[in-house]
Amino acid sequence: MLWKRQIPILIATVVGLLTLFGWFIDNPGIESFVNDDATQWFDILASFAIFLGALNLMKLQGRKVVKQQSGWQYSLFAIGGFIFAIVAGFIYKGNDAVAWGVHVTSKGTLFKWMFDYIFTPLSATMFALLAFFVASAAYRAFRVRNLEATLLLVSGIIIMVGRVPLGSSISSWFIMYLLVVVASIAANIILQDKIITFGVLLGGAVIVTVWGSLAGWPVDQPGIFYLPILQDWIYNNPNVAGARAIMIGIGLGIFATSIRYILGVEKSYIGE
Amino acid sequence: MVAGGLTLAFIVFWLAGHPGFRDERVVMFFAITIMSGTLIYFIRLALRGEEFHLRSIPGLKAVEEAVGRSTEMGKPVLYVPGIMDMDQVETVAGVIILGHVAKMTARYETSLNVPVSRSIVMKAGREIVRESYTMEGRPDLFQDDMVHYLTDDQFAYAAGVNGIMVREKPAACLYMGKFYAESLILAETGNSIGAIQIAGTASQAQIPFFVTACDYTLIGEEFFAASAYLSQKPELLGGLKGQDILKAFVTAAILLSLFLRVFSDLGWIGWNVIDFLTVQ
Repeated sequence: MLWKRQIPILIATVVGLLTLFGWFIDNPGIESFVNDDATQWFDILASFAIFLGALNLMKLQGRKVVKQQSGWQYSLFAIGGFIFAIVAGFIYKGNDAVAWGVHVTSKGTLFKWMFDYIFTPLSATMFALLAFFVASAAYRAFRVRNLEATLLLVSGIIIMVGRVPLGSSISSWFIMYLLVVVASIAANIILQDKIITFGVLLGGAVIVTVWGSLAGWPVDQPGIFYLPILQDWIYNNPNVAGARAIMIGIGLGIFATSIRYILGVEKSYIGE
Repeated sequence: MVAGGLTLAFIVFWLAGHPGFRDERVVMFFAITIMSGTLIYFIRLALRGEEFHLRSIPGLKAVEEAVGRSTEMGKPVLYVPGIMDMDQVETVAGVIILGHVAKMTARYETSLNVPVSRSIVMKAGREIVRESYTMEGRPDLFQDDMVHYLTDDQFAYAAGVNGIMVREKPAACLYMGKFYAESLILAETGNSIGAIQIAGTASQAQIPFFVTACDYTLIGEEFFAASAYLSQKPELLGGLKGQDILKAFVTAAILLSLFLRVFSDLGWIGWNVIDFLTVQ
């Protein structure tokens, strides 16, 4: 119990307090421990632990092949890839002119070939899938279901159109005419009165036309209806406000959780 | 009494010339001390038996529902604890929530699959799952390979988890930890197989992706509150209450700073609050 609970909690408390309050102490030794040594210790531990992971991977994949479980053919690729990487990294360089160690980044070696022509294209393929996933996710998010989804759709369209060259060619007066049409549709849906709907449409069109004629129809005026300015405002104001609110919550959450670990209040990570 | 003693000691230290203390960071020092003190106060209050009201978090209520659904369908629960190591507080939080989820899967006799991308997370995850199964009286159902390693590489890990999803078709996919660009790849694949999906992360850039593709998302602080919420331990619930009080403090500080800044800009006061608050 002492080794499995009290001592780990004591280590977490001492190192945690040292890291937290070390930031306020002007001492090169503590500074070096907090900034470099502690993280290096973790890196060394993690490097040793990779053997555990690799062994576990090989054990599971090997068992799948031996027992011919469902999808065992894929496991052959995993095992083959693992052995190939070990050979290319530790046994066969493929280019005797290059020294061991630098061979992983030097041209003409087996490891570099594997990295450039197998690993990188496969990673890029996975990353490229994101484009399709973003499209399908955006389609779902932008479906008009309720007020929030409608707001998301409208602000999404404004930001997308406002950020492309086409957006800067759309006159703010055109947007104002569109708004008049939207307002008349809303009036019709809410009040269901043809005269009022027609009044809103006609009144709005007359106001916009008179205003535009007096102002000389400048493309980017009034700025609030000019898409590049509007998208900039949405991006830098409501968006940043929301993001900062989430950030404050995250910051407080991380702080409170860290304090719970440091004080040993939360012990679940080493067992109940 | 302890707080009073510490304050007195600090005053003496300060009056003695505070050797080795970074003067320029004193505001942050006081902020951290006050915040820590508030948390400790509420934790102690909870331990003395004070009861706190917790607002309901639908995402956390849905965890048990998701495990139940998997049980009914006879399919596994997939749990992804992020792609970072145990040096990230989100990964630690994710592993702790894994313990609570493992208790549910043990109770319902549902299979649990936890692919991880870091060896240390694998070891920590195994220990916590083993303990959960033991605590629920079902050590016989626990297998080491429930928590298994895939790879350290981000997209190779995403490919591996996607493969598991497509082949095994889990009924519930839980993503709790630190995520980067792979978040949407995982969540959209989970969506395509019709799994109930619950995500929790403090990775701000990934929250919109999870909100879009998952049924429930624990946003930021809700994710860190999950452990307390699921365990219902008084000392953890006290910490949550303290966190809420701190949020009120921060809001008040923002409003006060706003007014002071406006007064400074108007020339009513000759002191800029931003210079005072900026971390040196």
